[in-house]
Amino acid sequence: MSIRAMKPWLFLMPALLIYLTVIFFPTLHTLYLSLFNWNGVSPDREFVGIQNYIDLVFNNSTFPTAMKNNFLWTIGSITFVVGLGLMLALLMNQKLKGVVIFRGIFYFPYVLSGVIVATIWTWMYNPSHGLVNKLLETVGLESWTHAWLAEPKIALAAVFVAAVWHGVGQPMVLFLAGLQMIPQDPYEAAIIDGAKPHQTFWYITVPLLRETFMIVVAITMIASLKVYDIIFAMTGGGPAESTHVLASMMYFQTFRFANVGVGSAISIFLVILSMIIIIPYVYYTTKKSHV
Amino acid sequence: MSEHRSHFIVSTMRYVYVVILAVIFILPIIFITFTALKSNADLLTNPFYAFPEKFQWGNFGKAWEQGKLGMYMKNTAVIAFIKVPIGIIIEALAAYALTRMFFKWSTIVFSFFLVGMMIPMQATLVPLNILLNKLNLVNTYPGIFLIYIGFGVPFGILILRGFFRTIPKELDESALIDGCGELGKFFRIILPLSMPAIATLFIFDFMATWNEFLLAQIFITKDSMRTITTGLLAFRGEFTVDYTLLNAGVLISIIPILAVYLSLQRFFVAGLAGSVKG
Repeated sequence: MSIRAMKPWLFLMPALLIYLTVIFFPTLHTLYLSLFNWNGVSPDREFVGIQNYIDLVFNNSTFPTAMKNNFLWTIGSITFVVGLGLMLALLMNQKLKGVVIFRGIFYFPYVLSGVIVATIWTWMYNPSHGLVNKLLETVGLESWTHAWLAEPKIALAAVFVAAVWHGVGQPMVLFLAGLQMIPQDPYEAAIIDGAKPHQTFWYITVPLLRETFMIVVAITMIASLKVYDIIFAMTGGGPAESTHVLASMMYFQTFRFANVGVGSAISIFLVILSMIIIIPYVYYTTKKSHV
Repeated sequence: MSEHRSHFIVSTMRYVYVVILAVIFILPIIFITFTALKSNADLLTNPFYAFPEKFQWGNFGKAWEQGKLGMYMKNTAVIAFIKVPIGIIIEALAAYALTRMFFKWSTIVFSFFLVGMMIPMQATLVPLNILLNKLNLVNTYPGIFLIYIGFGVPFGILILRGFFRTIPKELDESALIDGCGELGKFFRIILPLSMPAIATLFIFDFMATWNEFLLAQIFITKDSMRTITTGLLAFRGEFTVDYTLLNAGVLISIIPILAVYLSLQRFFVAGLAGSVKG
């Protein structure tokens, strides 16, 4: 190879080496480990083929819960995080006094870590001193108070509310950028034609925001698939394993129960699901950019 | 006239909505601030909405000291201030090769990096643990930097490649005429012209590193090296019932982020949208 042809590889080398070492080969290694029964330390491990996958799908009581929770989380995020984000963006796109301050308030939780958000909201949900129950008591709704994070039926929803507070700023900002790129002419034309506000919204704003919607929904789905910090730090998957998601289950199986094979199989499920989301998205966006 | 009035009502209603929503959003922060400033007796006997009887500024000092928050923040800052610049240089070099060196394999190599964005960190943790053990890098800074930088590579390349592509090619030719080599072109032309993108990437990467939890949890197990996320969790474990101290600690850990956020808010709001499109 000539020096000229080698030069790009020299520039790429640090990134490629680190990428191969930290992401690429370890992922293949995990795929390999998922075929074994291994505790992570013992020198011998037993080859079990795809048994770990079969056990997860058919003989594990937590795995279906975790899958279901990831699914609910995704649907919930697309509905509430994206929906509220769009609503806030529409409000922030008006000529409103102090709009910069409001935008700052809605976006701020997004820059906090999941652990901080989890700690704040665990305190909000404290059964005897937390703001949520105290407020309900004050307005005479004592029967509505709960031990929010300790009741299997509502714990996931309670964590989800904290996650909405945490994450809504991101779609808001993306939608806001999308809204500001829409030209004014179609709105003016619509007003002349006598269109009502909800009509201009559905027939002008929504179609012209299509690209932003694609980005926001893709980001939201990936984030929902990977959700971990806030669940680990608020419920640790409990009570009664009711709030586990794939990522938290992977952590417990691998690093607490030393079922490395099972944990690896869960990781591979995560990889596959994430490919199912991203590949169509990349395909769609690259196909469009070539036109 | 009536139309004017109805417009006024609509815009007032809108304002009321926004204010109500903003109050709901701030409420948790006010609540933890109140809790942090109360004494335990005050907290347990007086109503939650009551102003602190007497501001317990001492809570902050105690939380700072007993929670070792200063140490955790310093550790996090050390990691972030070294990891982020090194990562950006590595990513920029790669993005340069992919966009400005007439590189035949450009698209294929770029797609290969993009595959990394699909890999959840979970899929790498056990092999990385084995690797660090073999290299004796467990709980060492070289090991931590390697892993933290690695996970930033795909996203960094995506953003920087997108920006480099917008820089006109004519500049390269004039550099060539002036006798710049590739490295000269990289450092003297492309990097300075990319400062807006690099600044945005710096801020986001810094935030992501500061808030990183999973990698810290698995790869930094020595208490003296812990970052603020896992440190705060350990602190929380110790003070499960001392609510006032716990909330003082939470507030302290929010302050540096709040300060950065307030001073760079423009970047956050404009930068994210721009970078995703990149």
